[in-house]
Amino acid sequence: MDKILFLLSEGIKNLWRHKLTVFAAVFSIFLSLSTIGVLFIAEQNTHKLIEYMRTKYKIEVFFQNDVTDVAAEQYVEQIKKIPGVYSTTLISKDETLKIYKSVIGEDLTQFLDYNPLPISCVVNVNRRHEGLLKIMTIIKNIENIDGVDSIRHQGRLINQIETFYAKGLLGLSAVAFAIIFVTVLIISNTIKLTIYSNKDLIKALRLIGATNTFIRLPFILEGIFQGIIGAIIASFFLYGAVYGANELLNQFTIYSINVNWLFLSWIFLIAFIISLIGSNRAISKFLK
Amino acid sequence: MIQLKNVSYSYRKGFELANIDLTIEDGEFVFLIGPTGSGKTTLLSLMYLDIFPESGKVTVGDFDSDTIKKRQIPKLRRSIGLISQSYHLLEDRNLFENVALPLHVIGHNQNDISDAVEETLDGVNLAGLEDHFPHELSGGEQQRACLARALIKEPDIILADEPTGNLDPVTSFDLIKLLEKINNEGTTVFMASHNYSLIKSRNHRIVEMHNGIIRGK
Repeated sequence: MDKILFLLSEGIKNLWRHKLTVFAAVFSIFLSLSTIGVLFIAEQNTHKLIEYMRTKYKIEVFFQNDVTDVAAEQYVEQIKKIPGVYSTTLISKDETLKIYKSVIGEDLTQFLDYNPLPISCVVNVNRRHEGLLKIMTIIKNIENIDGVDSIRHQGRLINQIETFYAKGLLGLSAVAFAIIFVTVLIISNTIKLTIYSNKDLIKALRLIGATNTFIRLPFILEGIFQGIIGAIIASFFLYGAVYGANELLNQFTIYSINVNWLFLSWIFLIAFIISLIGSNRAISKFLK
Repeated sequence: MIQLKNVSYSYRKGFELANIDLTIEDGEFVFLIGPTGSGKTTLLSLMYLDIFPESGKVTVGDFDSDTIKKRQIPKLRRSIGLISQSYHLLEDRNLFENVALPLHVIGHNQNDISDAVEETLDGVNLAGLEDHFPHELSGGEQQRACLARALIKEPDIILADEPTGNLDPVTSFDLIKLLEKINNEGTTVFMASHNYSLIKSRNHRIVEMHNGIIRGK
């Protein structure tokens, strides 16, 4: 227990002892985490945008003329079960006639003795669908249902929007991973500098019988503390930046940046992991 | 007991220690004399297994170079107190922290450490300087601090590599007297030096080394 307390206190004291290199490491961690945070916020807000667009996607399904109301209800139930479909609205022959009358201004039954308009159904997709929404698959599944005569949709346009969104997400992830990788290298090299400047300490510790774990732990703890400090500063920066940006946006638009601040726990987790990997990588090379 | 049996070691640059046979009994005080570059530091490095012999065997207490595992080396070094010419004191820690370090490595509690540091510093005449940093100490004080750091863990063996190399004759003489006092309490002392005039008057065994070969035993 005394040994653990000593190593912990050494890790904290090292932050002050190596203040210059600690400053460099904390600054680079802060920059990296802030960039990753901005990407997180961008992802959250583009997701809101795509959710809004998905509410506008409309698929209109027209049933064959001989389909009865009862049969149409059964077909609609089948449509509801298709993955990606959120809700359906059945429009009966009479309702279609009313809509026609209100839009065109003529009553078709006055010219014809029957109602020629088919039963139809409006399909809404699930706006909260994760990742790429495969609209053409949904349409194909609807087409395969008996009684469906025709489908009106904007499949190609929706497909383009969805593909663009998915590629954007992939790009953001790639950039985030590249930043994480570079941060690990930066932390590792900064700590390597710290270790190099402490080669006398390591030599002395070895001569008095310290194990590699005893030598390694304060440096790893120092790295983790650097990561956490960087994450705290980045969190304040991101909060301030979103607050400032919203203040500015509110002067011109009704749009504001919405953030689920729980994502900061990810920032802390990333900081912990990259500083752990970075410091362990550096000290391991030195203790070989 | 320290025993080297037919030990050889060579550096890439050509210098080598050849067929060293040497035994130091428990509680003995032995001087290793030889000119600079004769292999004294290499011989000491072999004793605390900083380097391993290419042939032959080094035995220190319960450990030997043939069978010791990597994880046992720290344990061996905890039984040895090392003193060197360059002190190896940590500049960013005060005297108390420097001397306390070996006990933290072993895992003593803070109260025991405080008492032990106080007692050890008193024993090497450095009491009252606990808060001083190495750069605030004289050469002699730094060397005694180094000795205190070696002694605090109550080692069975003291290996001293040219400990008087940077000290004036009076301070050097005081340090040897201090080592003799420690030796009288039962600790084995093996001290390397190139200063024959300093050690010739002391009544201890002298081992002579020249170009990597031991002459007198």
